[in-house]
Amino acid sequence: MGRIFWRKLEGFGHAIFYVCLFIGGQTGAYLLLGPVVFFYVLVSRRSHRLTKAYRQRRFPEHRGVNAWLDTFRIVYSFGQILVDRAWLGIRKEVGLEGELVGRDRLLRTVAEGKGLVLLTAHVGNWQTALSHICDLAVPVNSLMHYDQAAVAKHYFDLRGEQTPFRIINTEGLMGGLVEATAALMRGEVVTVMADRYIKGPFVTADFIGSPVRLPAAAYSLAAATGAPLAVLLAAKTGRTRYSLTVWDIFTPVIGDRQERQKNLAVGAARFAGALNEYVRQYPYQWYNFFDFWRQ
Amino acid sequence: MEELKQQLKEIIVRDLKLQDVKPADINDDAPLFEEGMGLDSLDAVEMVVLIQKHFGVQIEDMDEGKEAFRSINALAQFIMQRRAGK
Repeated sequence: MGRIFWRKLEGFGHAIFYVCLFIGGQTGAYLLLGPVVFFYVLVSRRSHRLTKAYRQRRFPEHRGVNAWLDTFRIVYSFGQILVDRAWLGIRKEVGLEGELVGRDRLLRTVAEGKGLVLLTAHVGNWQTALSHICDLAVPVNSLMHYDQAAVAKHYFDLRGEQTPFRIINTEGLMGGLVEATAALMRGEVVTVMADRYIKGPFVTADFIGSPVRLPAAAYSLAAATGAPLAVLLAAKTGRTRYSLTVWDIFTPVIGDRQERQKNLAVGAARFAGALNEYVRQYPYQWYNFFDFWRQ
Repeated sequence: MEELKQQLKEIIVRDLKLQDVKPADINDDAPLFEEGMGLDSLDAVEMVVLIQKHFGVQIEDMDEGKEAFRSINALAQFIMQRRAGK
């Protein structure tokens, strides 16, 4: 009963937000979001538990009310992302205004024709922002787990539009790495969500003062194919504004087999460094709701 | 065919920098990945690049890769078929 009940309740909650979006637009849904998130954070110990590992590292000095407010701000900001996604989905005529910081550098790198691995993470309005990468002059592929059945549907499903990138499903054999390699060798772009480690080879890097496991595949892809790697992270910077920033560009190496793990970890450290800087600037746009350091 | 298989074994040992493995140690029918030679998904990435670099044959997806990476025999067969199809 429990699982079905919560699933129905989740669906009902989504339906209410959709009604608000139809009637009051984005502002209407934001108005509803405030009290909903306040109540949720007030009664749900789970919300605090799911953000605890991150909060305690990012705001080690925060206790009591401040810690409570941190949870509220993280959940509220995530709620805004979901509202935006739904709003853009049902109102085809609206859109977010965005800027791509480091665009020229990114275009120059793509123009080298070696392919490009775009590393990104579950921060900011990553999905909406990434769906706007359609002017890189080469096809874009996204190495991702694609669950169309999720209640919170993906941006492009809601828009009813064809995705601006080809999805390479990580559920496939070898986690889609063979397809990704072929794409890079054609000089194409492959985006990788490089923060969550689920299975397969990993490397360890320091993130907000503690070691964390990160998937190794992206660094291996880049090193084997000679493709450069760019860290591209999105942030919501206003009610209808987002910023996509190129935080770093580098080309990892594999070297000798016995050195492989160490060399791939150098790449992961660059990514973790960019992520560190990101959460320093946008502390409430971190959307990994689990103990990231025990993944 | 035998020459191609020998070449593949040498490439795998040399370019994947396998330690304590000689080309002669690789069985023609042994699986290349996991329980066979113990190669992993990161090695698969390098293999796709190596096959393209040395033989000009592209492995586009895992449907092809699954067949090709079964063993040295299968990989040699795959390369020959691709070359013949050109």
